Amino acid sequence: MTLPDTISDLLGIGGTGGDLVGALFGAVLVGSIILAQAAVAGPWAKRKITAAFTDRIAIDKIGPMGLGYIIVDSVRLLSKELIIPEGVDRPAYDIAPVLLAGSALLGFAVIPMGSGIQLADPEVGLIYVFAVASLASVALVMAGYSSNNKYSFLGGLRAVAQNLAYEIPLILTGISVVIFAGSLQMSEIVAAQSQTLVDLGPVAVPAWYAILNPFAFVLFLAANFAEVGRNPFDLPEAGQEIVAGFQTEYSSVYFVLLYLGEFIHIFLGGALIATIFLGGPAGPVLPGIVWFLVKIWGVFLLTQWFRSAVPRVRIDQMIEIGWKGLLVLSFANLFITAVIVGVLPT
Amino acid sequence: MSLEQPTLDVGEAPDSGLDYDELADLLGDAVLDREQHAHAEGFVVRADEVEAVLSTLKQEAGFDLLSCVTAQEYQDRYESIYHLKKYKDPTQELSIVVPTPTDRPVSQSGSEVYETANWHEREAYDLVGIQYDEHPDLRRILLPETWQGHPLSRGYNQKKPQIVPLSENPNPMQTKTRESGDSDTMFLNIGPHHPATHGVLHLKTVLDGEQVVDVDPDIGYLHRCEEQMCQQSTYRHQIMPYPDRWDYLSSGILNEWAYARTAEELADIEVPEYAQVIRTMGAELCRIASHLLAVGTFGLDIYGDFTAIFMYTVTDREVIENILEDLTGQRLMFNYLRLGGVAWDLPEPREDFFEKVRDFTAEFPESLQEYHNMLSSNEIFHMRVKDTGILPPEEAKSYGCTGPVARGSGIDYDLRRDDPYGYYDELDWNVITDDGCDNYSRAYVRLEEMRESVRIIDQCVDILEEWPEDEREIQANVPRTLKPDPDTEIYRAVEGAKGELGIYIRSDGTDKPARFKIRSPAFCNLQSLEVMSEGEYIPDLVASLGSLDVVLGEVDR
Repeated sequence: MTLPDTISDLLGIGGTGGDLVGALFGAVLVGSIILAQAAVAGPWAKRKITAAFTDRIAIDKIGPMGLGYIIVDSVRLLSKELIIPEGVDRPAYDIAPVLLAGSALLGFAVIPMGSGIQLADPEVGLIYVFAVASLASVALVMAGYSSNNKYSFLGGLRAVAQNLAYEIPLILTGISVVIFAGSLQMSEIVAAQSQTLVDLGPVAVPAWYAILNPFAFVLFLAANFAEVGRNPFDLPEAGQEIVAGFQTEYSSVYFVLLYLGEFIHIFLGGALIATIFLGGPAGPVLPGIVWFLVKIWGVFLLTQWFRSAVPRVRIDQMIEIGWKGLLVLSFANLFITAVIVGVLPT
Repeated sequence: MSLEQPTLDVGEAPDSGLDYDELADLLGDAVLDREQHAHAEGFVVRADEVEAVLSTLKQEAGFDLLSCVTAQEYQDRYESIYHLKKYKDPTQELSIVVPTPTDRPVSQSGSEVYETANWHEREAYDLVGIQYDEHPDLRRILLPETWQGHPLSRGYNQKKPQIVPLSENPNPMQTKTRESGDSDTMFLNIGPHHPATHGVLHLKTVLDGEQVVDVDPDIGYLHRCEEQMCQQSTYRHQIMPYPDRWDYLSSGILNEWAYARTAEELADIEVPEYAQVIRTMGAELCRIASHLLAVGTFGLDIYGDFTAIFMYTVTDREVIENILEDLTGQRLMFNYLRLGGVAWDLPEPREDFFEKVRDFTAEFPESLQEYHNMLSSNEIFHMRVKDTGILPPEEAKSYGCTGPVARGSGIDYDLRRDDPYGYYDELDWNVITDDGCDNYSRAYVRLEEMRESVRIIDQCVDILEEWPEDEREIQANVPRTLKPDPDTEIYRAVEGAKGELGIYIRSDGTDKPARFKIRSPAFCNLQSLEVMSEGEYIPDLVASLGSLDVVLGEVDR
């Protein structure tokens, strides 16, 4: 049973009205959960994590451990003047930030977050997530192209090249999981991982696909770094090279939206990894939603670690890694998975 | 290719000094006169023979380093001086003096022979007003194109304000961005405000896709008339604070030493040994601090912002800053050296100071290992910086590159060893070179040089600890007003953090220099960016710029 149904049942409203009210309330709840994560991550966690990697203290003046900066920074960012440069191509320039943040949020509609929180569970769930996540590339191109700035333009071009090169390996690796699970439906994929693989006395190793097919897991992680544009693949906004890439000309609310979109995107990547490789919300003792959040924060932590410690590759090297390396490997992975699943009886 | 092999032994006397007579014979009629400069002999050469003379000296006498071009105006003439040296032995020096008449200051350009003359002659044209015939690109370099007059020439009115309306300046958006209608290239202004330019540098870049077709550094944003300010200051005390402000990123003592060495030699001042040891120690501390920042920001260029390597290097640099603060009382603008010695002795209690330095030298190799782990043994880092930004040794020499940039191209050239000063020749240390000629080599050379600097510091502390208490002489006897003999000219250089930091001084018998010219290593090194980055990607251009380690305060002066 999905979240909107639960809500409409609770409220005792049936029919179309109930569906509508349930969907609305459900969407607000899921959106709030995700936005809260981004709010913690952006102004606070990111700074604290990088500071820990680089032997610094970072923010600590407002609130305990500097947590007050979440509010302070939100107010600061939102109250800044919105500067729209001359010659930008509107409305593309205005749509891009909304599209980037919105597309990433849409992806969470089908993610089972545990504790019964899942807005919808269509049969093509996984494909849906990939599809809406790809919308982000459109937003990046729009932002880059419409800003009337050469750095933005270069950033937009890089974003396209990067997404073309890495989306295919990402989806192919995702598909190899589908072959295992036998379904594109998110709840089915999670359910397929709930069995126990090996029982080691007190610890039961679950049949998570990360354990069943670690090769695919690593491939997916790598492609995901490129998809969300973080080191070593943060080329679309490579600060030292093209200033801030597609974000160069954005300020105030638009900048917040772009930034927010990036963070939600990282969390969406984390949610995908958690769902199709780490058993979704599965975990002992604690409720599912907690485990789910722990997993997506784990992926977030990994991106921040890479950001602090791994050099950025060059654009031509990145394209080469994508087309010549990851693509070939992901096809090999898909083929081998298909053979194994086909030949071996379940 | 030509069968003629350049013979490099013309003009060398058996005791490996220079035989100026033989050199004069080699040049024949081109030499009008011979002058005695304090550091070397000067040949006065006809203005239309410059290229031939320089070419002969480079091909046949082995003068492969054009250190500097100094221009100045006398009452009756202009003069350009080409300071020539040899990479294999920088004590073999020769000045080529080219006088030109006041009413028609036109001299032949030397940029066909030495690439580095290109920028030096542009500067001479810009500041003094000498025209160079056959110069490929004789534009102003430090001052804006619209500047009126040449500030270091005699007739220039210093008080007249430069009023240039904005409309007289070319609009970069209109003239350059669309060069021709059907070109596939894109013009991109990198800087003057850009995260990778390490200051206010403006790179006019032409891109084909992401590949660099042409790059033209536009400098001068930080020009502060340092040469002129030194010319208006007295030798004894007023000049010394300025060198701190050339390469202002913690290599202060190295810069001060360049002035101290030149002025001391000019005025015949003998510096006490004890002061030399303190100078050596201070200079090497500055070198480490400077290299740490260079390596850290280079890491920043490759890694992206908020990365560990930069913070780690800055943390270590902080320790050095603390030591230098104890020693000099300042963290950046030290003003610690004096002509004939240093400002004051080591801080009391000496044991505490020594312990602080020793702690640093003991711990530093460990940090160095960490940098090696993060840089030289990181595969992605290798992928990024190896075989990019290639600067072949021949090009490096032609561009007058010195310091870690030259040593990263396999040129074994270090003034501390080749033209010893201070206490270096008494100490045990090595010159680091690497044959890679790429961005990686330059970073590697800097990392390993820090290890050598630590060795030097350690030895200096040993010596200082055992120095008898009653012989701690920090300052020689220097007259309160220093007036070197009139018409003495000298060019002297030290090994700064970025390379050969040289100073030319001409005295006119007063207590202020008549001409004060700074040979900035970063200025010369920066010019080689064009060979390093053409045909490469923007990220490689950024990496090359980082590996050159320019400080714009020193480039623009």
